[in-house]
Amino acid sequence: MGKDAVLRVEDLHKSYGKLKVLKGVSFEIRRGETKVIAGPSGVGKSTLLRCINLLTKPDKGRIWLEDVEITKPGININKIRQRIGFVFQEFNLFHHLKVIDNVMIGLTKVKKLPKDEAFRRAKEALLAVYITEDLWYKYPAQLSGGQKQRVAIARALAMDPVIILYDEPTSALDPQLVGEVLQVMKELAKKGVTSLVVTHEIGFALEVADELMFMYDGKIIERGPPKEVVFNPRHEITKKFFEKVGRLYGERR
Amino acid sequence: MTFWEEFLPALFKGVLTTLEMLAIAAPASVALGILLGTLRVYGGRVTSLIATAVVVTFRGFPLLVTLLLLFFGLADLRIYLTPFWAAVLGFILCSGSYQSEYVRGAIRSIDIGQSLAAKAIGMTKFQEVMYIILPQAIRRALPGISNEIIYMIKYSSLAFVVGVQEMFAVGKHFNSIYFRPIEIFLTLAAIYLIMTTTATIFFKWLEYKLRIPGIEMGV
Repeated sequence: MGKDAVLRVEDLHKSYGKLKVLKGVSFEIRRGETKVIAGPSGVGKSTLLRCINLLTKPDKGRIWLEDVEITKPGININKIRQRIGFVFQEFNLFHHLKVIDNVMIGLTKVKKLPKDEAFRRAKEALLAVYITEDLWYKYPAQLSGGQKQRVAIARALAMDPVIILYDEPTSALDPQLVGEVLQVMKELAKKGVTSLVVTHEIGFALEVADELMFMYDGKIIERGPPKEVVFNPRHEITKKFFEKVGRLYGERR
Repeated sequence: MTFWEEFLPALFKGVLTTLEMLAIAAPASVALGILLGTLRVYGGRVTSLIATAVVVTFRGFPLLVTLLLLFFGLADLRIYLTPFWAAVLGFILCSGSYQSEYVRGAIRSIDIGQSLAAKAIGMTKFQEVMYIILPQAIRRALPGISNEIIYMIKYSSLAFVVGVQEMFAVGKHFNSIYFRPIEIFLTLAAIYLIMTTTATIFFKWLEYKLRIPGIEMGV
């Protein structure tokens, strides 16, 4: 494994019945890096992310988190997931818990930290995503979409993960709320939080990604520095995709 | 002694017995309902099969038959329950089986994203169910649970068949002596109505108490 690699994915395959979703995906991410995966709908981007934290079981291929092969049979999945942050497109905050408890529950129940220590870390994580104290005792249903997603990021961040996986984190948001979430993600990336982001936000990729990977038909067909891939793609499919997405998202670059 | 002077103290004792049965059977049936409903969704092959068998059985038997089996049937097998405990056990099994279906439906109605998010922060299945799924599912099951408790208050009168001296048994006994059905049974009906109304108000309060701000409807 490459030096400092915190995540290495090797030849990942996944099928649902006859439908082959992943057809051999390999890449690695080093500590502090941010990588972006882009590509049309239904090419396996979300499946790839879910395979990495084992919400979906890959059929073939291997995944290492730091120096542990997590695809080995008999591995404690729950222990692994504690170290991988996951941010969902639909936020998936716990509806019945206040903002502060959404962030604390993983710390108190999973990591078994004492309450005051959990509170301190939750507070820190919430402030890092600009969720101020006036929102801590509200319930998810009382927040805007952008606030919800920032709380979800704080929930992942508070667990002190090795890497955060973002699954189209801004796709369910109203356009005017996308900016605040991207801003937080950019800041975290710049602070050195290792991130793997599935997104259509080219601007985000161009500004903070170390590498942009373009997925099509279950494979990464093109990868490289974001500027290269977006403005100088080798494949016709990649070119068409970024032209189309650029027209939709270009104004936010 | 007039009829009322004799009837009311006896009835008071009967009401206490009824309340005693309910005080045990109602919370225990809720616990059993949650347990059975949860096992049917999350249990392994064997445990969910057992839970299903319990539900099918005690929802399928008429309560009257269950009570007679628990008291006379078990006695035949040299397992002796007092009338009181035979009745309480019957109520718990019957009501718990019905309630489990509300709980199971409520669990099924929880968005899969809640479960994914719980897993994603490293929760075990048990933690996910205890801290994320059930707190939400029980809130949704509450109107159904309240329904079953109100049924239970009324069918607690069936305890008379195994000889429990609860309020209905007292009324029936007095009617056979004095034959004053209107006074006796209207008095019983009024007391049942007070109990069911109290339960209704309690559950309404509980629902309000447990509401999740931002997603309550109709306000």
